[in-house]
Amino acid sequence: MHLENRILILSGLSMIAMTMFFGVYYAVFDEHQTLVGMGVAMMNGFVEAAGGDRAAAYAALQQYGEIAAEYKREIHFHGHWGFLSLILILYGLVVHKLGYGRRARAGVAAGLATSATVFPLGVLLQIGPLALLGKVLAVLGTIGLLLAMFVIVIGVLRGHEPYHHS
Amino acid sequence: MALTQSGNLAIADILDTRITRLYAFCGVFLILSGMLLGDIFAVFILHPNNARIGDAVYAAAAAIPAGDTDAIMGHFQAIGAFLENRGTKVDAHSHGVAMGYLAVLLAILQPFVAWSTATKLRVAQAFVVCAITLPIAIFTIHYVGLAYSPFVAIGWASIAADAAGFAIAIFVAIHLMGLWRYWRNWRDDYDTADIERPDTLDRASRILFVGGSVLLLVGFLYGAAYAGYSEYTQSPNEVDILSSIVASAMERQSLDADFAAYGGYLAFRGINTAAHAHLNSMAILLLLLALIQPFVFLSDRWKSRWAIIMVVAAAALPVSILLEFKYGLIAGGMADTSGLAAMVALAAMLFGLARKTGALDSD
Repeated sequence: MHLENRILILSGLSMIAMTMFFGVYYAVFDEHQTLVGMGVAMMNGFVEAAGGDRAAAYAALQQYGEIAAEYKREIHFHGHWGFLSLILILYGLVVHKLGYGRRARAGVAAGLATSATVFPLGVLLQIGPLALLGKVLAVLGTIGLLLAMFVIVIGVLRGHEPYHHS
Repeated sequence: MALTQSGNLAIADILDTRITRLYAFCGVFLILSGMLLGDIFAVFILHPNNARIGDAVYAAAAAIPAGDTDAIMGHFQAIGAFLENRGTKVDAHSHGVAMGYLAVLLAILQPFVAWSTATKLRVAQAFVVCAITLPIAIFTIHYVGLAYSPFVAIGWASIAADAAGFAIAIFVAIHLMGLWRYWRNWRDDYDTADIERPDTLDRASRILFVGGSVLLLVGFLYGAAYAGYSEYTQSPNEVDILSSIVASAMERQSLDADFAAYGGYLAFRGINTAAHAHLNSMAILLLLLALIQPFVFLSDRWKSRWAIIMVVAAAALPVSILLEFKYGLIAGGMADTSGLAAMVALAAMLFGLARKTGALDSD
């Protein structure tokens, strides 16, 4: 196996193991509490409104929005890391046959692996005090993923036989 | 395993191991089951459940002017149950398909995993049990509830799902170590070999590979565009709409306009998320199927036909989901038909896979 294959397969399998561990941790220690928190906050908004306290109702709904955003980011982190890791392993099996030179293929592999790692991390970091850093990482990861995929698609389309350009 | 004259493993012989077949069949079975569950879920649970949730939120809002907090809390308890029902079905569908993808990838990676055959077989058997248990356990969370559970918030079905997920993470880590040993040339007497690819890639693989790569790029672009729109534009968010509902209820005004906006918002979010997820999921499936085409024992003409059907269905599914904005249930029916076409093509490839293993066995 070439360097580019190893980069993608190793990082893909590492990511899949980590996202499974995260999924288990999250399901046991966080998800249930977050979902209950969302439901209670939204219900409180309606109950406070029924009691005539408009400010308290809006505050409860605002709290619901914050917990819902946190939940969305946690689920996106788990889901994106899982699916991006599958993509890394898939291209890890064929990247050495793309229609580029060896250094270019290694560069594409490194770029794809780094972006696939950084983007979901950026999504997760947007919860809490490092939100700005998380946003920057998510945007950079997105750009990196798009560029890497664009280069891969060009490499696939350039060669009629993608396995054949070693 | 039979080696070629160059000492490499011919690609057709990869299937000539019990371990790889176990992963491959488990994978395709899980993908098919996950897709079937997704189709059934979309038709019989998703839409009726969304309507029930909408009705319950409306009823809770309608109870605000009367100050009936007991009724509000009762409606929210019902909403919680509806959401759990829907959420566990979505998770069972997505985890079943994802475990199927992982199993097929592990099947392809087996020649590079440097462990003894006995170890690899034990890991494969345990993986199959856990990969099948995970979506089934998630599916049953809603029905098992907290019955006989030793915990306050987590039931036995959740415990089974968590245990299966944890075990799968361990099995992936074992594969990672096996690959590392292979690359480090730790020992050379393990059950490993280099894959010798066929000289020419067949047409079906090319169709699936190009289709999958293009679809994946489109999926990435779509996801980035949707994230940019929802994060960086001033479109009304859920909290704004809920606040408007509460305000209208307190002022005893009609709730219809607010709920129309709320329904529109939920539909916009749900359809865009589903379109993005299905674009990427189907693209990964196409790429996976491109890799296993050499194992599919059908004529080249039929392999190409099934590959074309698969690519068309994979592209039509997310497009149909998007068309639900304008055409509602008609587009929903198109999405279900696309999913069905993909399942038929997948079943045909599974049949070819079974024929291949039969041919290898008879040799």
